[in-house]
Amino acid sequence: MVSERVPRPVVDVQGLHVRFGEVEAVSGVDLVAYAGHSTALLGRNGAGKSTTMRVVAGVVPPTQGRVLVAGHDVRAEPLEAKRSVGYCPDVGGLVPRATPWEHLQLSAKLRRLGVGWEDRARDLLERFELGDVAHRVTSGFSHGMGRRLSVVLAAFHEPEVLLLDEPFDGVDPIGVEATLDIVNDARARGACVLVSTHLRELAIEACSSVLVLRGGARVATVTAHEMAGEEGARAYRGLLD
Amino acid sequence: MPTAAFSTEPRSLVRGQWWAVQDVGHLLRLRAGTVRRRRTLVGLAVFVVITVGAAVVPAYLPGAAGDGYAFNLLLLMPTAFAGFQLLTLASAVASGGGRELVPRDQLVAYPVSPTTDHLGALLLAPLNIAWLLQCWLLIGSAAYAVGPAAFVPMVIGTFLWVLAATAVGQVVAWSIEGVRRTAHGIAAVRVLAILGIGAAGALQLSHRLDDVLDALPTRRLVMGLDAGFGWHWLLTVLVIVGVFVVAVALGAVPAHLTARLQPREELRVESGRYRARPTTSSDLGAVLRVDRASVWRAVPMRRGLAVLAVGPGLVSLAGDLPWNQLTILPGLVASGGALLFGVNAWSLETRGALWRESLPVSPGTVFAARAWVLMEFLFVASGITLGLAVLRAGVPTAAELAALLCTWVVVILQVLGASMRWSLRSPYAVDLRSARATPAPPLAMVGYSTKLAASTTVTSLVFSGLSQVEAWPLSVLVAAPLVGWSMLRLLKARDGWVEPATRARVVMTVAG
Repeated sequence: MVSERVPRPVVDVQGLHVRFGEVEAVSGVDLVAYAGHSTALLGRNGAGKSTTMRVVAGVVPPTQGRVLVAGHDVRAEPLEAKRSVGYCPDVGGLVPRATPWEHLQLSAKLRRLGVGWEDRARDLLERFELGDVAHRVTSGFSHGMGRRLSVVLAAFHEPEVLLLDEPFDGVDPIGVEATLDIVNDARARGACVLVSTHLRELAIEACSSVLVLRGGARVATVTAHEMAGEEGARAYRGLLD
Repeated sequence: MPTAAFSTEPRSLVRGQWWAVQDVGHLLRLRAGTVRRRRTLVGLAVFVVITVGAAVVPAYLPGAAGDGYAFNLLLLMPTAFAGFQLLTLASAVASGGGRELVPRDQLVAYPVSPTTDHLGALLLAPLNIAWLLQCWLLIGSAAYAVGPAAFVPMVIGTFLWVLAATAVGQVVAWSIEGVRRTAHGIAAVRVLAILGIGAAGALQLSHRLDDVLDALPTRRLVMGLDAGFGWHWLLTVLVIVGVFVVAVALGAVPAHLTARLQPREELRVESGRYRARPTTSSDLGAVLRVDRASVWRAVPMRRGLAVLAVGPGLVSLAGDLPWNQLTILPGLVASGGALLFGVNAWSLETRGALWRESLPVSPGTVFAARAWVLMEFLFVASGITLGLAVLRAGVPTAAELAALLCTWVVVILQVLGASMRWSLRSPYAVDLRSARATPAPPLAMVGYSTKLAASTTVTSLVFSGLSQVEAWPLSVLVAAPLVGWSMLRLLKARDGWVEPATRARVVMTVAG
């Protein structure tokens, strides 16, 4: 009975350290994110949000610590971990001379998606108003279009873990709305969602809990409710300084 | 940097140009800050030593200024002068007006004048192994042709010609780039190129090419420089310097006109529609398809391949090169092909590298696809060159054919192994959108091109020698260990890529 009420941890990060030469980008982050929940990562530039996301996505190996994604250790079982993840990187995230359709086709093939992926891909492209440019190379896209396509690519295979790094950056209100819908849909089907953003208001709207990072380490984990309004803004500023 | 509004008032115009010249210094300092000072100084010292060596040593070699080979060389100097002009022209045209001192996307927020861009491209023109080798060859030939008594005035004049030809090539390249950016400009330039090639072919077939070469204005320049210090020499030098100064100044005009036009070729790629194709049956096929799109849809690769593959092929066709000399071509073209993107092969996705790396596919498959795409690019380029070159070479002996095929395979694997190794060791974040983009900074490009040229030339010369030996299995026997060695180096590069920390460093670097 208890197991039905307590959500299942899908992302479990313990004592994560990431070093690039002399620079320690992440210094001891602990993070647990659950199925059917969305967690926001907030913090200033260089707080370690994107690096943490990259580790969970399997792009950067942890220097130290343990990272489990859907029960798979990202170091020992990288391909299994990657199969569970849909990742929207913070910068670009698109192959410049490939079309959106070619991106989706590559992802579908490598993720072993069966018949029907085309319909979902088309539906998502339409929802994000990218249907007209599905067969144009992405180097001609505006920043906002690129961000929207990155969200589509992260979400279209309905991953167990959805990682969205700065998904609202430079995106118009329709794109923001579509992204919020994607987060809600993922949560509703039981996926674990991690959203990294600078935009506190949108983080609160999209997520149920908030993790604040500073200087490569976690400084607080609070509910989205506690971060809301003037009081939440003051609390957030206090955590950043 | 100045931000004054543009004005056509003469004083303001001059001031604007002066600021543009000063900005070259600013950009040079910015660029110099990204490279190690020691490496720059060593590179500069090597250039000076080799140039002085090329200018002095041949003058004192046995046979210099003699009636035999040296005299023939002197007769060929006007053609060599014109050939150098053609080289600078082809190089500048292929790179859309010349290389960028600082990549366009990094300067988008700054008011950098096209004059600055033009002068920067001019400064970067010598940082190219083809330019350097031809420059040294020209100076060395001039010194050998006239000998110790007269080499100083000859070499001074030849070096000045090298500079003037580079500046003239730049003016023409900006002009052609400007034409390319007009409506139907791409077709016009292609027609012009075909007409030029056709005219050269017609002259060759009608045996009038020698007459045309004899009538080149460069003949007068060589005669003036051969006269030794005196009024005739001084006048010739003044003419060359005048051409240089006028070309440097004049180049700013087409550079400004070109900057006002949109690069149609790049826009066509970015706005064109690409038909969806059926899903591939394997992971490798899927990765290969995206990698191929990254290569074959890139303007610098397509334009570079056309110049690289067709240029040497036509030259060898016109020169009627025998089979034993054709072995030099695959290495030359493969090296040039690798310099278009291969030396920084992981940069093809730029910022898409992060997303690509999050996909569940074996790193070994990703490496195999990238190496395969580079290899087929090199094979296509050198295949076109060889296809043209063998048209007039007649029927080869078994030894000549075996030597050529072995050279082809060996140099491509050599270039492939080196490229994949360098791509892993020194990745750079570059955007290969523009025809002017290069996969690595200028000094790194010189280093890469020198190493590639040296290794492939040695290999080519070995097989050229073997083609003279009437035992074709000998070429295969020599090729086998070389192929084995290159494969070993390629596998070592693969091992590096498969290692997660190394791969993450490369991916994060190219993603910027």
